[in-house]
Amino acid sequence: MDRFMFLQRGGCEDPPELTAQQMEAGMKAWMDWVKNGTEEGWLVDPGSPLSKTGVVVNPDMSVTDGPFAESKEFVGGYTVVEAPDMAAACELAKQTIKLAGGGKIEVRKFANAGE
Amino acid sequence: MPKYMFVYRGCENCHEPEEMQKFMQLWMDWIQVGEEAGWLIDKGDGLEPDGAIVNPDLSITDGPFAESKELVGGYSMVEAANIAAAIELAKGSPIAVSGGTVEVRALANVEMANE
Repeated sequence: MDRFMFLQRGGCEDPPELTAQQMEAGMKAWMDWVKNGTEEGWLVDPGSPLSKTGVVVNPDMSVTDGPFAESKEFVGGYTVVEAPDMAAACELAKQTIKLAGGGKIEVRKFANAGE
Repeated sequence: MPKYMFVYRGCENCHEPEEMQKFMQLWMDWIQVGEEAGWLIDKGDGLEPDGAIVNPDLSITDGPFAESKELVGGYSMVEAANIAAAIELAKGSPIAVSGGTVEVRALANVEMANE
């Protein structure tokens, strides 16, 4: 089994207004997804969204302030999964997108550097 | 203590054979210091340059994306009192001193969802 990182691409540009009920349903769907993934063993780290602001430290040690939310390279969050191959990892990413009702996920295999 | 993700990009000379060994040594030293001091909560890993993007319509765009200098090359997770302290840790990272950039991003709080 290999490890893969999901990088959520692009922020949620136009977050829909949700009712308390919809938010609760969304939270429950997310918790079920975490529970399923953990029980089935493919979810290594449910990960987290990343705050929209941040900074970049450059090679010359200068610091560039964010936010970068307008950039298409913006990473909105991450998740770590385990799968036999890239195709299987993409299937898990599809599940995630269906659950979230949208989004774009970059799937990248861990290099296992230094292992 | 807030957690921060370091998103590494564009460390081109990390892959030159003669630089590689020097870089690996810096990297291992950095991990050791961080783990002993307790601020490095996940040393992270490199990500292989090929990968795939799963789009909102569930179509798949295959990589490699290696030509892009915006490519995410790897990540680590640290714990720091605030973003200023996290930036100082990023400045000490072998990625920054090897010609790459370190994007510093706070993890949005999702503990509630993980319970």
